[in-house]
Amino acid sequence: MAIDTARVEKLRKRTIDGQAFKRLVEAGVTWLRTNQQIVNALNVFPVPDGDTGTNMSLTLQAAWNEIKDSGTHHFGEMAAAFSKGALMGARGNSGVITSQILRGFSRGVHDQKTLTLDAFVKGLNEARDTAYKGVVKPVEGTILTVIKETANGAEAARGSVKDAVELLEMALKAADEAVKNTPEQLPILKQAGVVDSGGKGLFFFLEGMLRHVYGESLETPTMQVQALSAMSLEGALEDVEEGQDYEIVVDFVPNGELDLQGFYAKLEEMGTSIQVGEGEGMYRMHIHVPTENRYVPIDYIMGIGTVTKVAIENLMAQMDDIQKSKSTQIQFGTVEPGNIAVVVVSPGTGISRIFASLGVAAVVAGGQTMNPSTQDILSSFENMPTDKVIILPNNKNIVMAANQAKDVTVKNVQVVPTRTVPQGLAAMLSFDPGGEVAAVAERMLKAMSNVQTGEITVATRSVEIDGVTVKDGQVIALLDGKLVASSDTVEHGLFALLEKAGASEHEIVTLFFGENMTHAEANRFADAVRGKYSNLEVEVQEGGQPHYQFILSIE
Amino acid sequence: MGEETTSLGGIHVSPNAVATIAYHATLQSYGVVGLAPKNLADGIVSTITREPSRGISVQYKEDEIHIDIHVIVEYGTRINSVAESVANTVRFHVEKALGLKVNTVNVHVAGLRISNTD
Repeated sequence: MAIDTARVEKLRKRTIDGQAFKRLVEAGVTWLRTNQQIVNALNVFPVPDGDTGTNMSLTLQAAWNEIKDSGTHHFGEMAAAFSKGALMGARGNSGVITSQILRGFSRGVHDQKTLTLDAFVKGLNEARDTAYKGVVKPVEGTILTVIKETANGAEAARGSVKDAVELLEMALKAADEAVKNTPEQLPILKQAGVVDSGGKGLFFFLEGMLRHVYGESLETPTMQVQALSAMSLEGALEDVEEGQDYEIVVDFVPNGELDLQGFYAKLEEMGTSIQVGEGEGMYRMHIHVPTENRYVPIDYIMGIGTVTKVAIENLMAQMDDIQKSKSTQIQFGTVEPGNIAVVVVSPGTGISRIFASLGVAAVVAGGQTMNPSTQDILSSFENMPTDKVIILPNNKNIVMAANQAKDVTVKNVQVVPTRTVPQGLAAMLSFDPGGEVAAVAERMLKAMSNVQTGEITVATRSVEIDGVTVKDGQVIALLDGKLVASSDTVEHGLFALLEKAGASEHEIVTLFFGENMTHAEANRFADAVRGKYSNLEVEVQEGGQPHYQFILSIE
Repeated sequence: MGEETTSLGGIHVSPNAVATIAYHATLQSYGVVGLAPKNLADGIVSTITREPSRGISVQYKEDEIHIDIHVIVEYGTRINSVAESVANTVRFHVEKALGLKVNTVNVHVAGLRISNTD
């Protein structure tokens, strides 16, 4: 989207008071939230602070809630209230650092009725100093470095800029460079081929403010070219908007370097749900457009490159099919008053069905890339006619949300920290609805360790972990969450995984196949496994989970 | 715990070694500005120590590893979040280095350091 120059000129002259600050930070918070999945994806596997983007976003959201009804025009007071909200709502490591940055900033500007350029610089300097004071051994190449460079950049530019907009531009430029430089400072980032997630989050927060000044959209995630193999076009179906009836996918080779900014701007005029992927010089563009525009993107792309393949699909017809398949309801177990109810988090309909058949009372949809909130989990059992509840999160990233649900409810809740679906199923086998909650949870906890979990999926970036080298797009195998093998085919990945799991000494293997696979395909893989391991009993179940070709339970 | 048996013999990791890993992990956690000597933790803490074994105690009980950490936290941070991230970071680093499961990490906030008042 183009910059609205008239708007920028108007805003340049405006003094920045408390209300203006409020609009700026609202834009920053919104923009970070829009891009939080991008920040989450930067987390270096495996790190202690799980979802940096989500944590930062929730922290800033809490800060925003503190000021959203405030009518004060005093800049310093507004900044102080914002900082207080961030402190109260700080979540995770990145959230605590963010709250310290805001606390420093607010201290630097506390006596300002409106923001001057000097106060802006002073605020950023205080933000930097306060952030560094919070840790004994600061690690460079993190969000700390980014706030430092941002403050230094603003200070250096102070002499040559005329207004706050320009100063913000310079500060953001420094932040951007600092973020890009983080892999040079922190080897683990370089090894994983990513920039620091917290630093990137801070960048988005600042960039949102500038986008607000420019009059740019805050709702569409930043343009991003992803690896072709990582494009999840199936997922895009879920956000079909009214009037965007056709899905167009075009593969093309651009004439020369593709001007991404211009390309995106053009596409945004045509439709929604834009995704662009790249691989070895070839690009894939995905967009949803109204019926009358269905040939426009193709014509446009023919003008800037050579089109190699076009796919057009009628989304409305697809939606009807999806509605139909969704209508086959799952029958959950009924909860007798006073008995224990089990709530599970499940990544796919097939898996939900299996849980339901084992007597689960409710399912919360969620998994690897879509973690349900504490509220989602809470509302799944709040209205049940019992106060004894056991939660199985079935994913390591959801254990915390489950524990929070336990903390806020008045019901007697136990979380059995299952990290995978097979662990959840194993735990469910020793569930006894009539028992004591703590004792039953204890038994389920014991039962879950009887099973090993294997996962087969596709790598979304090149990385080396635990001595296994993975190329982007390769099939990878994980055993109990640890990367054990990479290969070029699902079959080889499956065999490597089973070998690592010591399959020749086990008895039963269950294959839960993902949403992109048919039962027949899964059966072929199962036959191959049976052929190799005559000792194994191999079962095939529909899992319906996204991203993972197979989840394996090895008993 | 802290022991592993291989075909060539046993490996024993002393609690002190674990404490050193925990110490470095703790000091890298955001919001922690020091460790407090554990014997003074109940009283008024006046010294901030930088020696690994002070402020951290590691205990092996049969097959379990328990770690207690006494920290000084920067005033003005959300103590709950800081403590939680200390526990996560310590557990992560110790488990990664040892390949053994840590059963509990207790974080005791022994005091706050005030470097700025708002």
